[in-house]
Amino acid sequence: MEIYRIEDLSFAFPGKEKQALAHLDLTIAGGEFVTIIGRSGCGKSTLLRHLKTVLTPHGVRSGAICYMGQPLSETDQRTQASEIGFVLQNPDNQVVTDKVWHELAFGLESLGLDQQTMRLRVAEMASFFGIQTWFHKEVTELSGGQKQLLNLASIMAMHPAVLILDEPTSQLDPIAAMEFLETVSKINRELGVTVIMTEHRLEEVLPVSDRLIVLDDGAIIADGKPREVGEQLHAMGHSMFASMPAPMRIFAAAQHYDGNIPCPLTVKEGRQWLEDKRKVTDIAKASSDKQASSTAEEIAPVVVQFKDVWLKYEKNGPDVIKDLSFEVRKGQFYCIVGGNGTGKSTTLSLLSGIQRPYRGKVLIEGRNPSTMKAKDLFHNLLGVLPQNPQSLFVQKTVELDLHEMLSETKLTSEEKRAKVEAVAALAELEKLLAMHPYDLSGGEQQRAALAKVLLLDPTILVLDEPTKGLDGSFKEKLGRFLQELQARGVTIIMVSHDIEFCARYGEVCGMFFDGSMITSNEAKTFFAGNHFYTTSANRMARRIWPDAVTVESVIERCRNNQ
Amino acid sequence: MGRDSFSTYHPAVNFLYFAAVLGFSMFFMHPVLQGIALFSAAVYSVTLSGGKAVKFNVIYMLPALFILAAVNPLFNHAGMTILFYLKNGNPVTLESIVYGIAAAAMLVTVMIWFSCYNKVMTSDKFIHLFGKIVPALSLIFSMVLRFVPRFRHQIQAVSLAQRSIGRDVTQGNVVHRARHGLRILSIMATWAMENAIETADSMKARGYGLPGRTSFAIYRFDRRDRTVLVLMIVLIAIVLAGAGMGENTMRYFPSMRMKEQTLFSGVVYAAYSLLCMLPVIIQLVEELRWKYIVSRT
Repeated sequence: MEIYRIEDLSFAFPGKEKQALAHLDLTIAGGEFVTIIGRSGCGKSTLLRHLKTVLTPHGVRSGAICYMGQPLSETDQRTQASEIGFVLQNPDNQVVTDKVWHELAFGLESLGLDQQTMRLRVAEMASFFGIQTWFHKEVTELSGGQKQLLNLASIMAMHPAVLILDEPTSQLDPIAAMEFLETVSKINRELGVTVIMTEHRLEEVLPVSDRLIVLDDGAIIADGKPREVGEQLHAMGHSMFASMPAPMRIFAAAQHYDGNIPCPLTVKEGRQWLEDKRKVTDIAKASSDKQASSTAEEIAPVVVQFKDVWLKYEKNGPDVIKDLSFEVRKGQFYCIVGGNGTGKSTTLSLLSGIQRPYRGKVLIEGRNPSTMKAKDLFHNLLGVLPQNPQSLFVQKTVELDLHEMLSETKLTSEEKRAKVEAVAALAELEKLLAMHPYDLSGGEQQRAALAKVLLLDPTILVLDEPTKGLDGSFKEKLGRFLQELQARGVTIIMVSHDIEFCARYGEVCGMFFDGSMITSNEAKTFFAGNHFYTTSANRMARRIWPDAVTVESVIERCRNNQ
Repeated sequence: MGRDSFSTYHPAVNFLYFAAVLGFSMFFMHPVLQGIALFSAAVYSVTLSGGKAVKFNVIYMLPALFILAAVNPLFNHAGMTILFYLKNGNPVTLESIVYGIAAAAMLVTVMIWFSCYNKVMTSDKFIHLFGKIVPALSLIFSMVLRFVPRFRHQIQAVSLAQRSIGRDVTQGNVVHRARHGLRILSIMATWAMENAIETADSMKARGYGLPGRTSFAIYRFDRRDRTVLVLMIVLIAIVLAGAGMGENTMRYFPSMRMKEQTLFSGVVYAAYSLLCMLPVIIQLVEELRWKYIVSRT
């Protein structure tokens, strides 16, 4: 049975010439798992919001949307509220009440169900989602992942026939995101609920999707099974292909679709394909050319040094940082990876002098950051980009915000304008200067925040999860931007969950566990030495080329060995 | 102290109990009843919060009791039993001293009762009770309780981010600090509105605004709630009857006079003690029953 039928849907925001959605035709059958992808601003969210009347944006619209055979606009609000579930991007903003149990019942209260029914539904959902253990908690005590699961559970309690999710995992760390997507897939599989979602984490989503739709400039450019769509995108030479899972990209570059072998989608399939292709005998001659670490690094002076640092928040509390020692040399791109709550972000607050160790030393160019004056520390020395770039903005427009950074310096207004213009050009912000910082997309906010920090001319740049919530093309831009800064002699220290990003752009990687640095090494050697904590390209190819870490290096080796 | 079993009763039972003991403590200025109330309040607060309550009662409440009792005779000169004269010629009377002690005891008792009330009547219990009278209110309460910690968290995040670019309220000279602080506050207002839009979407998406909204409660009024409620009503009725007969108050001025002690006054005292000690008794009974169950298995 078809759930949605969209016919020739066009939509433009008020006062805009350009159509956000252009002549869309789409039919979605019951029980399907549909993933919609596309660059930021391609109209994904706008399309999803058209699927529920209360969320539909204002603007000029033509065409028809039918839900269960009748026009959506004629579908009763009560039916829509319960049957069409909608999960939004930000886990925090969606939670309305202060207690988990109350939040679970929120939708049911709106529908006006009686106590007995609510009791049963809430109990059912809490059990299905494993919420029993935190049922009585305050919402504030939950992690981001738990909040998003709670939002999902609260919607599932209303027994929807279709579940619409708008980039639900963009604010979550990889482990929480996996758990969330697992749950969505379980809902689809075990309850037969139709799922329509937009998502960046294709590696996890594509294997469970029945159908993949690619939007570009408000139009559908590909629609079909994930493997077929990948093939189409590759044939088109479309930039979205760069967001496809690593096995697919390697396969496309090395095999040139010939139709005989199905394209691998998961690491497992990719590995099987690669090893079949290579024959086992070749493994022996796997190259293991040890790369001598460049001598230039050895000479560069140490700019950041942690010496046997210990930290705890309370007198009798547990140690958050235990015996942490590492050093960063001038001009390095240093990545810190590791799980949640292992002390990565705390390390950054030690670095900016917000926390003080109770034993050991933190030194920035030989000085202790916690006793330095703010002016000395943050001018021409340390630039810190917080995890949430939004928290840096304080003005009405991006331009004012950038100027604000220079308001306490003694430059003339001419010099100030020149500086702001230069940094805006560097971060590609020229077109965005007149906008409110909160109206920018995630990637744009990230760049604007970076520009703001760069105005203080830092020589050491500290980044906390800069790739959170960014799509593939923005990540690439950010990566190149950081490399450019590095080329100018800026030292970069980055905390990240994004292994692929660290492997591609990082120079040295350190692994954090249980409050200290377990190991650190040159990025390539680091990931080649890990078995689990490494890129999917490496997990796929590690039996043949253990040192091939990025997709590009695997492709290159495939070509060389053909 | 781990758990208090009286807290697990229905909010209505909790609320009636506190309404009764607080009201009675405030209005009955009778030494026996006051003694009962002060003793029960102290015992219950210790059952609820253990050593912390002992500390609180001894360090703050006990001195408060003495000071308040000592201050009254300095300002209140009514009464006919004059003990001596102050330097300014005002008399200090026995009645004013006794009244001072009684008033101080009343104040301290009420304060201790309130500390217990705060422990037992959590916000969601209060919301549950009064949400029935004004349904929209319970949701608003709940949303406010959600919003306040979020706002505080965000203001911390912004302040921290600003500190790392040298623009927090703790940095710079006085003018700079004031400017930084104002800037942070103004952006917080924007932030709150910005996020409220998505919260509103999430509410609409879950059918908020449909007619006939109900409210979900995790509390159930069961048999043990009924038993305790009935018992409490009977006890309250006896105490009120005592009040009607003039058993529960005494005259302080111009001379102290108490109603004669009869069998009925004994009944009122017993009922009041039982009422005030009810949570402690419930706790003791449950503990004994638990020990018994454990010993049998």
